[in-house]
Amino acid sequence: MKPATKFLFVFLFPVVLMGCGAQSRYLWSGYDTKMYGYYKNPVEREDFIQGLKEIIDESEPAGKVPPGIYAEYGFALFEEGNHQQAVLYYEKEAKQWPESRTFMNKLIAMAQNRAKTQKENKRPVGMTETHASGNAVKPLTGETTK
Amino acid sequence: MKRVFLWLSAIFFILLGCVHQAEMNKQDKFLSASPRSILIIPVVNSSVDVTAANYMLSTLSVPLAERGYYVFPINAVKRVLEDDGLSDSSLVHAAPPTRLANLFGADAILYVAIEQWDAKYAVITTTTTVALHYVIKDGKTDDTLWENRVRMVYQPSSGGGGGLGDLVAKVVIAAIEKASPNYMPLARQANINAFTQYPGTGIPSGPYAKEQGN
Repeated sequence: MKPATKFLFVFLFPVVLMGCGAQSRYLWSGYDTKMYGYYKNPVEREDFIQGLKEIIDESEPAGKVPPGIYAEYGFALFEEGNHQQAVLYYEKEAKQWPESRTFMNKLIAMAQNRAKTQKENKRPVGMTETHASGNAVKPLTGETTK
Repeated sequence: MKRVFLWLSAIFFILLGCVHQAEMNKQDKFLSASPRSILIIPVVNSSVDVTAANYMLSTLSVPLAERGYYVFPINAVKRVLEDDGLSDSSLVHAAPPTRLANLFGADAILYVAIEQWDAKYAVITTTTTVALHYVIKDGKTDDTLWENRVRMVYQPSSGGGGGLGDLVAKVVIAAIEKASPNYMPLARQANINAFTQYPGTGIPSGPYAKEQGN
């Protein structure tokens, strides 16, 4: 191969390939692997929630938060009983993605209802009472309902 | 002569990669519905591999979002459906699309069914054959907007340049694959094959792809 041809191959190929493969619109930080890991091992819930937080922390400064991530994190907080924080992230999702408004409004109403009944009962709500998927997980505070 | 052949084959492969089939696009229904958001629901699995559904469900958000659509949070959706009495994915798939769409405010719904997911174990490599059926339905009319079938034969690559060391490495990899196969690359590739070949069998790019460039 002549040097000129070689040059073309070495330098043109990456350029052409770059044109084909669209660059990433969002910063996913291993979202699919994290999601799969959680489904495979639902007991490792804390890792999953932490993983979602990491995606937000890494993508937010770049303005590349993927769609659904604020809501997913908010829902995880909701399932942990952290209703106020959950609403905050639902609002973030709806603000960033107007397409999510209907769903976010439902989730916000759900969280506010739950927070209200919690206040009225003035008793810690056990995970088992509200969420089937949280069964395997101890409440973070170590509290147990009697 | 040899050089010409090299160039021609290079150009051919580049074009193959970029343009795929230059057939006229059959996505008229999809284009006129022009959904902004796609609801990803749990995957129906009729294969023998129980992990396949989770691999597929976990990997669907990325390619659709990158294609320019709003995608709903898959786990929140899954949990809300469960609370709504749709705990089994086949129940979700049997529900009217308009009902699902109303529940989440979604423009369209993606249905994925795993028809085949077979791993054949050999000493050196493991070959996995998959067959997947993808359908996108309109959340307002129940119409099918798009559908695609993907068949793939997958062999995890082990790299290496040959020789006895490489053979040992391959055998080790095959053993690991058998113990706990990693289907992530397979699932990702299947989705890329299903969605991105456009014009052709894939889906048109969504609203956020068009708005790009800030």
